[in-house]
Amino acid sequence: MTEQLEAEVRAALRARAAQVPTASIDRLARIDYHPRTRRLRPPLAIGALTAAGTAGALAVVVSLTAGASSAFAGWTPKPTPPAPGQLATAQASCEGGQSPISGLPLKLADTRGPFTFSVYANDTSSATCIKGPSFVSVSGSMASTAVNPPADQIMLSSEHQTNHGQGFSFAEGRTGAGVSGVTLTLDDGTNVQATVGGGWFVAWWPGDREIKSADLATSTGAVTQTFNLSPEIPCRTDQRCSSTSNAVGGGGPATRGTAVTGFASGGGIGQGTTQSYNRSR
Amino acid sequence: MDRRRPDFETFVAASTDSLMRTAYLIVGDLPDAEDLVQETLLKVAARWHRVRRMEHPVAYARRILVNRALDDAGRRTRRRRELTGDVLPDRHDEGDGSHAFDTHDELLRALAALPPRQRTAIVLRYFLDLPESEVAAAMKCSLGTAKSTAARGLARLEQALRTTNDTRSIST
Repeated sequence: MTEQLEAEVRAALRARAAQVPTASIDRLARIDYHPRTRRLRPPLAIGALTAAGTAGALAVVVSLTAGASSAFAGWTPKPTPPAPGQLATAQASCEGGQSPISGLPLKLADTRGPFTFSVYANDTSSATCIKGPSFVSVSGSMASTAVNPPADQIMLSSEHQTNHGQGFSFAEGRTGAGVSGVTLTLDDGTNVQATVGGGWFVAWWPGDREIKSADLATSTGAVTQTFNLSPEIPCRTDQRCSSTSNAVGGGGPATRGTAVTGFASGGGIGQGTTQSYNRSR
Repeated sequence: MDRRRPDFETFVAASTDSLMRTAYLIVGDLPDAEDLVQETLLKVAARWHRVRRMEHPVAYARRILVNRALDDAGRRTRRRRELTGDVLPDRHDEGDGSHAFDTHDELLRALAALPPRQRTAIVLRYFLDLPESEVAAAMKCSLGTAKSTAARGLARLEQALRTTNDTRSIST
């Protein structure tokens, strides 16, 4: 019996292992695994971003454009109108291939200079895609239940990613029915205006600053919502870390999704309650 | 450079298939398995100057992968509860397929239900066909522990199959 059982176990394992898509293995084999630096930003950007705490958003723009090699050159703290064809190009890049986006409708697209950040979602799943001149990164998350924030609140998910030593962070989520504008304040004082529409908002920024609060324009007036976001999983080099918060009634972390992933030139992946798929071009 | 030793890219090309399929069998989920392999290879890359001198670099990578998988087992189990439908194929109705498929199906369900260490030992022993000494090395345990862990896992799989067959006999 044991030999027969062992043979059946071997056969079952091989059959199961054969279900691994070749594309998945190819993608993993194409990734650049060479170690990268631990710092998320070059020193120039660190200083400039620190200054941004008092000088406002303009300092961020200067710091980013000062480094010719910055992957995020051209980023702006406020959304900019898309260039002709920019949205279509981003959509084609984001929706191509295997990704968490599959089957999810596009809810919102945020453009800042040459970057397009798109949110795809249904009631319980969302996926984000950032398309820049030299990279595309897609990640997704799943919620156990549909998210419905109060009319004058937002519920957000925030993530941080690094790529070749340069990091960026983003926040996306649902807006209450009365919210028409969202401006995030980071923990260094930088303000980042979000794109808002269709019950969703999204904003992103270079670096790893956490969100401290959000100023909301609502149907009943201005509301400031505060957050206490901390990574649920320690963030390590060249990984993506996330924090989530229902943030209703003043904040505090609440699990909706979490992710740690590598981020590399050929592909990438996610875990926890988040599935992700990253690729650079 | 010692040309008898593989460069990292060659190592990745040669080992990713095996690592990915092993990871998939251990964690039962493609994105988690991809994560695991990626994290493993990142660690190997960071230590490649030492790893490349090893007799079996893939054994080192496998040890990293296994330990990471076991470390993460609790978190992955949580996730599987949310994504149960993604883990294994739906159960087939009685009599709608071959006995071999049903057996595989039940074995895989039983495998997924094993404690992580037993599942890992089974995968290393019966998918990779590693000798028990290498299973022990990969799992960082004694030879005796590796043997008993795999044996307990196999016994559980046998019990699961027996239960299935008994149920099938009763229903037919």
